[in-house]
Amino acid sequence: MTTLIEAKQLTKDFGELRAAENISFQVGAGEIVGLLGPNGAGKTTTLRMLAGLLTPTAGEAFIAGHSMSSDQRAARRELGFLTGDMDLYRRLKPVELLTYFGKLYETPKAELDRRIQSLVHDFGIDSFADRHCEKLSTGQKQRVSIARTLVHDPAVVILDEPTTGLDIMASEFILRFIQRIAREDKKAVVFSTHNLAEVERLCDRIVVIHQGKLVFSGPAAELLAQTGKATLHDAFFKLVQ
Amino acid sequence: MRTNIILTIFRKEILEVLRDKRMLYLIILLPFFLYPVLFTVIGKVGADQQGKLATQKVDVLLNPEAEKTPVYELLKQDTTLSISLMAFDRATIDTLKNTIGIQVSPDYAEKIAAKGSAPITIFVDESQDVLARRQGIIMAQLQALNQQIINARLQEAQLDASIMQPLLIQSENLASEEQIMGKVMAGFLPMLILLFIFVGCVYIAIDITAGEKERRTLQTLYSTTASKSEIIAGKFLAVASVGVLSAAMNILSLLVAMQIQIRMMGAEVNTLSFSIDTAGWLWLCLLTLLSTVFLGALSLAVVLLANSYKEAQSYVSPMMMLVLVPAMISGMPGMELNSSTAMVPLLNIALAMGSIVKGSVEPMLMLVVAGMALVYAVFALWLASRSFGNESVITGEKIDWKQLFRS
Repeated sequence: MTTLIEAKQLTKDFGELRAAENISFQVGAGEIVGLLGPNGAGKTTTLRMLAGLLTPTAGEAFIAGHSMSSDQRAARRELGFLTGDMDLYRRLKPVELLTYFGKLYETPKAELDRRIQSLVHDFGIDSFADRHCEKLSTGQKQRVSIARTLVHDPAVVILDEPTTGLDIMASEFILRFIQRIAREDKKAVVFSTHNLAEVERLCDRIVVIHQGKLVFSGPAAELLAQTGKATLHDAFFKLVQ
Repeated sequence: MRTNIILTIFRKEILEVLRDKRMLYLIILLPFFLYPVLFTVIGKVGADQQGKLATQKVDVLLNPEAEKTPVYELLKQDTTLSISLMAFDRATIDTLKNTIGIQVSPDYAEKIAAKGSAPITIFVDESQDVLARRQGIIMAQLQALNQQIINARLQEAQLDASIMQPLLIQSENLASEEQIMGKVMAGFLPMLILLFIFVGCVYIAIDITAGEKERRTLQTLYSTTASKSEIIAGKFLAVASVGVLSAAMNILSLLVAMQIQIRMMGAEVNTLSFSIDTAGWLWLCLLTLLSTVFLGALSLAVVLLANSYKEAQSYVSPMMMLVLVPAMISGMPGMELNSSTAMVPLLNIALAMGSIVKGSVEPMLMLVVAGMALVYAVFALWLASRSFGNESVITGEKIDWKQLFRS
């Protein structure tokens, strides 16, 4: 399995505070990894370092073999990044928004047109394509956000708490989307969440971060065995308490 | 930096501005209609008020002893005065509205006949426009009567009138109408141009920086292959374009308003009473451009420190003061463009614009102003790029000003 995401001893300091320390893990093509940890554990900081939004104090992140520090453009070309609280450009229509991001990734016009057409169809955006994003419902916005993440056909998708604040229908849509892009399109997916049921359902492996440090990395079954607990819920609590 | 990426960001920002009715109103409609409407309304209201003040009846109380004096005869001729002969004192006038009291010396005739001085006292509440105006007219009429009496006395003494006027002082204004108008315009035009450039820049800057931070869309943009310098360049181009558009709309609106004024006053249409030559227009365009670069970059750098639209709006007033104060100082008496003032940010631009409007362009000083404005603009751009490059933009933490200056 080709490694598409590699976190290599990622460390981040904010002044005196060490938000993440020596975080290392890998994600292969077609694999889904769930990032778990209590609030303030360093999950978002880790994901932001992987996405190149924050520069690590030490360590390095690689996306599809490209270093996020020395070959950032190539690394970002292979990256789709989405957070649950991310909004859309209010006065753009969905297709305009997709075109905008496609152009930012310098996707060739013919390919971009084809890709947008396919995403609009796959995510059912056709029915509200003429409306400005500010007029869309939460579920519709979510579909456009996901389409935006995939418009340049990245090999890697990083999602920071993608289901936070969503109702059950919209959450289900996201979870199916994660499953589909990993299993069918063979993309590497990392997502952070507080919902252990989502992790059990989707993830091939789990990475648990606590107080800025990686405390577990492996399949859920291994975590249960290591902690001697019967449920992921209990195992998680044993690990972080 | 890739031009296609910068232009993509620029086009998207402009598209969003064009779809924002509030922004369009602020940048295009408001400036375009502001001056013509303001000038017309103020002109009309002013003219109406002047007419009303000129014809409004005013009560005048005159002491009974004045009836047999020329003062009474003189005032009777003024149809806007309603004269009553009655005894009164200062306190009486104070309690009456719309009334002027005139006390003529009871022994007026004797004093005039004896070639002495007869006191006349006018009691008036000068805080009332109509009374202050009428007092001026009454004073002028009484001065004319005074002059008549002086002339009669001089004639009686067989003296020439020039004996009372040993110096015949005359003053000739060498300034052309254009120069006078230019001086008036120089007092406020630079301030308006700078103010509207700033207003044009700052609101779009808030929307595309603090607004994006609040909506978390800036993270999305930062996660793409667009570099921070390309992002800031695209956004800056959009801010500067809107600033220039806003300034252009203001100047255009001002010219239209002046044409309307001229038309209303009956002057020849299409002739302004001040003019700027080609070189002046070129300098004005260059300075407008440089001040837009400076104010646009400064707006971006400052509002990016805010984490929300609302917080960014609270930065507008202090920044506006930063623009208004130098512009207002430039209009003060004695303030002129010299080698010292040419160094002061914004004051130099305002003074230089004032010189252009007055028609007194000194190319060397203009070059110094343009050079300094360029230096300040580059500094503001550097500051904006530091703001954009700061990780706090992503984490949502407060950006410390000191951080921007650290390597």
